[in-house]
Amino acid sequence: MVHALEKIQRLLKPDGILIDIHPPPEPSSIEVRIRGEAIPAGWLHESDDYAEYEDADDALARVVGSRLFVVERGGAFDLVTHADTVAELRAYVAEEWEEARIDDITAMRAEELLSTPERDKEVILRESVRIARLRPRRSAS
Amino acid sequence: MPIRLDPEDTETAALFDFAGDFTGKRVLEIGCGDGRLTWRYAGRAAHVIAIDPDPDEIAAASEDLPASLGDRIEFRAIGIADFDAPEAEFDIAILSWAL
Repeated sequence: MVHALEKIQRLLKPDGILIDIHPPPEPSSIEVRIRGEAIPAGWLHESDDYAEYEDADDALARVVGSRLFVVERGGAFDLVTHADTVAELRAYVAEEWEEARIDDITAMRAEELLSTPERDKEVILRESVRIARLRPRRSAS
Repeated sequence: MPIRLDPEDTETAALFDFAGDFTGKRVLEIGCGDGRLTWRYAGRAAHVIAIDPDPDEIAAASEDLPASLGDRIEFRAIGIADFDAPEAEFDIAILSWAL
């Protein structure tokens, strides 16, 4: 990862910028939204990705520490995936995510919440995502 | 309704907020996947090279490439370690869930 960042530093113009977007090493939440109110149902379980996200944080910290890049700004946003049913969301996670799953207890809780006769309802997967703007430092190369 | 990923467009809003104006910029996107994020900014950039080591993802991105963006986006099935370009070639690099 550090090698990738070193290469990106070389490919960027001196006044260029690097935008890094990646999730933190924390589980994403499964929620049921009923009439605009989001109710927690549980968490998405990932077996491997948290370690990868920690590695990403470490790599960024190392290139900043070695003065390859300077962090100009950091922030976070929520990336939300919406589905009408738990089965639909589970199928999506199974297809699109490696090593991630919605466990049975969370699925049952979400199904229970969705059983309300209210029509304005959905199940959502909420991922917290980090974003940062970094500037290359040529003096370090 | 099918699955809706980020219909609020928060990712695009965050990208524009942090990267600023893409107008006239040369962009390298690393980990572009199926081009989901690429479509959203490429219309403003001068040129985009979007790479991903997964050939299936790049095939999907190339297949979905809108004709209006065909002259400004290059999708390549390659990882950053093997990607080659002149030094100081890009104004913006985007690491899109790729570290």
